[in-house]
Amino acid sequence: MAIFWAGYLIFFGTTFAFAFDGGAQEAYQVLNSGLIFVLAIDFIIRFPFQKTPTQEVKPYMLLPIKRNRLIDLLLLRSGLDAFNLIWLFFFVPFSILTITKFYGIMGVFSYCLGIWLLIVFNNYWFLLCRTLIGERIWWIILPLSVYGGIAAGMLIPAKSPIFSYSATLGEGLITGSILTFLGILLAIACIGFINRRLMSNLVYAEINKVEDTKVKNISEYKFLDRYGEIGEYMRLELKLLLRNKVCKYSLRMVILLVLVFSSLISFTSVYDGEGMKNFLVVYNFVIFGILFLSSIMSYEGNYIDGLMSRKESIYNLLRAKYTVYSIAILIPFILMIPAMITKKVAVMSCVSWAVFSVGFVYFCLFQMAVYNNRTINLSVRMTGRNVGTGLQNLIAGASFGVPLILNVVLKALIGQETASWVLIIIGLSFILTSNLWIKNVYHRFMKRRYKNMEGFRDSRQ
Amino acid sequence: MITINNLQKKFGEKIAVNIEQYTINQGDMLGLVGNNGAGKTTLFRLILDLLKADEGQITINDINVCDSEEWKKFTGAFIDDGFLIDYLTPEEYFYFIGKMYGMNKAEVDARLAPFERFMNGEVLDQKKFIRNFSAGNKQKIGIISAMLHNPQLLILDEPFNFLDPSSQSVIKHILKKYSEDHNATVIISSHNLNHTVDICPRIALLEHGIIIRDIQNENNSAEKELEDYFNISVEEEIAEEEVKENINAVKE
Repeated sequence: MAIFWAGYLIFFGTTFAFAFDGGAQEAYQVLNSGLIFVLAIDFIIRFPFQKTPTQEVKPYMLLPIKRNRLIDLLLLRSGLDAFNLIWLFFFVPFSILTITKFYGIMGVFSYCLGIWLLIVFNNYWFLLCRTLIGERIWWIILPLSVYGGIAAGMLIPAKSPIFSYSATLGEGLITGSILTFLGILLAIACIGFINRRLMSNLVYAEINKVEDTKVKNISEYKFLDRYGEIGEYMRLELKLLLRNKVCKYSLRMVILLVLVFSSLISFTSVYDGEGMKNFLVVYNFVIFGILFLSSIMSYEGNYIDGLMSRKESIYNLLRAKYTVYSIAILIPFILMIPAMITKKVAVMSCVSWAVFSVGFVYFCLFQMAVYNNRTINLSVRMTGRNVGTGLQNLIAGASFGVPLILNVVLKALIGQETASWVLIIIGLSFILTSNLWIKNVYHRFMKRRYKNMEGFRDSRQ
Repeated sequence: MITINNLQKKFGEKIAVNIEQYTINQGDMLGLVGNNGAGKTTLFRLILDLLKADEGQITINDINVCDSEEWKKFTGAFIDDGFLIDYLTPEEYFYFIGKMYGMNKAEVDARLAPFERFMNGEVLDQKKFIRNFSAGNKQKIGIISAMLHNPQLLILDEPFNFLDPSSQSVIKHILKKYSEDHNATVIISSHNLNHTVDICPRIALLEHGIIIRDIQNENNSAEKELEDYFNISVEEEIAEEEVKENINAVKE
């Protein structure tokens, strides 16, 4: 997962460097005037990943260390966390491409250092808001009003001073302005101090918090009754996806990303280039499978003993998964309809990628059922503990890369329309033989079952 | 029903299970007792094919557990939370398990009826996922799910753990009656000697992976033997400690 994020950011960093080039302003000046958007995105993506010190302090409370010292250490750890470096995957390639020619390598270094400090400030700002929201949901008004106010200040006046202020800040970072850096450090110190005071007061409230465990609506999915045992496992898969934090957040994030890309293709001309458009179309269809099937069986690691003590339950589970995720391909397909209506993407192209994904890409990803043996904790959101293994990342990368390369080669050799037909034929051949290869995956899983079960048990939390 | 031959399982250098030959007959109600680390849970996992034996084999009704899944049809087991799908409600979990054995909802409801007293109004209709239940109620859900399809072989690891005294008493009665009514083989492990002696006509004493005694328990005759054994173990350890301390004192 981390590799994917890094990949996205490098991709966007280089794309933006070229996209903003050649205008009235330099690319870095354009980006600097919109730095607040970067901070806002950073703020949002922290929600599924980051815990606050008040949530983390519990195991340490019985240690002979003062409570305030613990909070200090956790705050310091949070500031120095590697997560705050992730945006450098965006800014380093961007600044190398755009800043070096004017300010040299020192400009790049100074700029990246300043961006890191801004992200650290954003980290503490997030912790402050997250802690307050955890206390009372109404505190969500705080970030909403701050970001809403900034957005209004930027968009409503004809010539907003916020853009120029943001650009000046960025310029200060590039030139290594002492005043700019001192200002950011002072801001970090202030918000760190506020966090410390707040968390010291709220730590016991957080520890004693009890979640409401009653379920208001229990979904039955009765329409699945007619499909027998497979239907029962399909029901189980749906409940897995919709009742566990880690799956719910992945699902929301992937729908959001597909929606954003689909909208960008449909309603803007940013990705009108054939290469970029293909990239995003392939991405939209493949990402569902990659996100949920590259870690196939890792969710079930939590209750693998129960499944394994029942006959052929794994085989039926795999078949049910295949059916559920095959139907789920309709989600990106539906989200791509605006792009089809605006004729940015051909209907045939979308159909071919949907069929190819369900056939060939799922075939590749299902092989992971044989090798995955690390349990994913269902009750956490996305944390470092839930990142994929090397093999998962490799297969996920290949599941995305191979279709892209195949498309380029086929298009060059036989043209777009024939290439689409070839993709459909490849996809269909894997769909029609799915029972055979799922059975094969099941048999190979059973051969490795002892090793896998041991791994699942050892990594269960 | 179950035959164990030359079974050996090691974790690194430590021998977890080492049983030359042991047979459990159809209808037997066997209690497995032993200190922590004696190999009780490992033996259960080996019987259920959840662990690979280094040597030897286990057959259930002449089926080698490693070679076929047929024995799973008539076997029910609950070892720990790893058997529970904790994002389901208890009802959903029972219906799910029922479906795996070809039962519809009405049949599952009928099978749940005898457990009403055991559930004590704390399991069904709670509108809670299993993960939000107490350890005791999770234990109840696990035990009931293992017995739902009336298995001919029932394996329960520490079934009295986490249960309140009333529920312990009820489950003792349920297990004994179940074994008699269905002529089912029931194997339980427990640290509670009284409970084990109360319901198990046969008791295997496991230490360091070896079944060191196979005790026929008629009219609680095993009680004294087991108490003597475990008390002696403790006394031996205390004596050993004292010897060590004396040696150290002499050295100093």
